[in-house]
Amino acid sequence: MSPETITPDQKIPPTNACALSIAAVFDPVFTRLERCADLVERYAARPNSVADRAELDSVVETEVRRQFADSTGMVIGAGFVSAPHFLGWHLAWWLSGQNPASSELPATGIRHLETVEDPRDESFRDYTALEWWRVPVQTGRRHITGPYVDYLCTDEYTLTLTLPVYRDGTDLIGVVGIDLSVDEIERGLVPRLCAGGVPVTIINASGRVVVSTDTHLATGALLRLPGLSERLSEVATSAPVLLVNGAHTFQWCGQTGLAVVAGLSPTGD
Amino acid sequence: MPQSIRVGSGTRAAIFAPLDGVGRAELVLQRLTDAIVLGVLHDGERLPSEAELARQLGVATVTAREALEILRRNKLVHTKRGRDGGSFVTFAGRGVNDLQDERLLAWSRVQVRDLGVHYSAIAGLAAELAADRASAADMDNLERILDRTDAATAAAARRGQGTFRLEVAALSQSARLVREELRLQAEFGSLLWLSLREPLRRERCRAVQRETVAALAAEDGARARQLTVTQITESIEWLIEAKSLLEQKGMSTMTGITTTANIIAPLPTGAHA
Repeated sequence: MSPETITPDQKIPPTNACALSIAAVFDPVFTRLERCADLVERYAARPNSVADRAELDSVVETEVRRQFADSTGMVIGAGFVSAPHFLGWHLAWWLSGQNPASSELPATGIRHLETVEDPRDESFRDYTALEWWRVPVQTGRRHITGPYVDYLCTDEYTLTLTLPVYRDGTDLIGVVGIDLSVDEIERGLVPRLCAGGVPVTIINASGRVVVSTDTHLATGALLRLPGLSERLSEVATSAPVLLVNGAHTFQWCGQTGLAVVAGLSPTGD
Repeated sequence: MPQSIRVGSGTRAAIFAPLDGVGRAELVLQRLTDAIVLGVLHDGERLPSEAELARQLGVATVTAREALEILRRNKLVHTKRGRDGGSFVTFAGRGVNDLQDERLLAWSRVQVRDLGVHYSAIAGLAAELAADRASAADMDNLERILDRTDAATAAAARRGQGTFRLEVAALSQSARLVREELRLQAEFGSLLWLSLREPLRRERCRAVQRETVAALAAEDGARARQLTVTQITESIEWLIEAKSLLEQKGMSTMTGITTTANIIAPLPTGAHA
C-alpha cells in the first residue's frame, strides 16, 4: 500500500500514546539533569565565595556517580561544562568505565574525561559552538543532540541531553548534560512505538531518525517528507497534526525536542 | 558529548585501545612508532608507565617493556629516572623522513596497494553515506573545520586531512566506519599521506576537500565517494613511485620527487560523466 492510497475513512495513525510514552523515557533523565543543575546553581550562589574547579568537580562527581548507578548501562557520560566566564574553559565530565582489557569484562567504575582547556593549545576546541551547548543556551530550554558518533570520547553512537545552568536566574554559567547509548535507547523505545499498526519513527528536531520500526529507515538517516521541515521549525505544540501528504501524523513528544512520525515511509526512493 | 573539543584525541584513544592477536610487542612498537612519526604523540610528551601502558593496551607488562626498550633504542623515547621520571617522546623532527622512508621500504607494493583498497572501502563508503545523512548544520560545521585547517606544513596538512576524513566518517553516522577510520589513521596515517610533504600535493588535497564538501552539500554521494577514492589512489601511487625512487637511488622521498604528471591533473569529474 502506498501512502497515496489512504482513504478518508481510514483513521489518522494515533500517536498520542506513543508521544507520551517516549516523553516518559526522557523526562526522568531530564529530572536528574535538573537536580544536577540545581546543585551547580546552589554552589555558584554561595555568598562571599569564589567558584573553584576542584570543589565544583567533586560536587558534580558525586551526583554523576548516582546517575551512572541508576541508569542500568544507558548512561555513558555525564557532567557539567562551564561557561568560559565562570570557571574558564572547563569540563567536569565523566565516562562510564569500560574495562580496558575487554568490553565483556565488568566495567571498572567511571573515569574523568581529560580535555585540552587551554585556548592557546592547538588541539583546543571552542565547545560553545557545538550543538549540545549552543541550542540550550539560545533557547534556555532542555535539548537533545544526536544521534551522533562521539568519536572523541567513547566511539559510541550517542544521544546527548543538555540543560542550561544559570546563576541568580539570568547569568549563564554552563550546561549540565548526559550522554545516552543509542543501542540502549533503542531497546527502551522500540516496545513503545505503536500507532495502530503503521510504522512509527522517532526523529530529533533536525529530522534525524533516532529509532524507527520502519525497515527502510536507519537510525541516523534524515527523514525526508514533504512539509516535515516546516513542522520541525514551528514552536512545539502538543497536538498531533497531519503532514501535507495526508499520510503521516506528526507529533512532538512533550518538551523533549523529539517528535514521532507515524505512517508508511515514502516509497520508490 | 564533547564532540570535536579535541582534534586528534580520538586518534589518541585508538592508539591506546586494546590490541588483540599475536606479535603483540611488535604491534605495540608499530603503533607507538607510528603515533610518534605521525605527530599524534608530541615531542617531549610523557608516555604512560609500563604498567599503565600494558593495562591500556591489554598486553603483559613485559610486552610493553619490550616495546619501550626498542623505542628507546630507536631514539624515539628517552627515559628519565626519579620523581619526575618516565618515558618521554624525543623526536625533534630529526629522522622523521628517514623513519617514514624505512617504513615505506619495508612494505611491498602489494601491501601498499592493498592498504589503499582497504582505506578506499572505508573512507569511500563513509563519504557516500555522509552525503545522504549530513544536515545543513553538519555542513556548516565541516566548512568551519576546513576554514580553520592550516596546510602550510606537511604535518599540519596531514593532521588537517586526518581531521577532515574523521569528520566525514562521523557524518556517515556509522560507529563501525568511524572506528575503522580511526584505526587506519592511527596505524597507517603517517604512511598514507606521505605525499603531503609536497606543497603542490597539499594544495591539491585542499581542493579535493573543498570539492568533497560541495558534493556532500549537493547530496551527491557518488561524487563524494569518487573524489575520496581517487584521492586515496593518487596518494598510493605517489607512495609506489616514491618507493621505486628509494629503491633505485636510496634517495629520500623528501627531495626525490618534486613533480609528477598527475599532481596538476584536473579533479575527477562527475561520477556520471
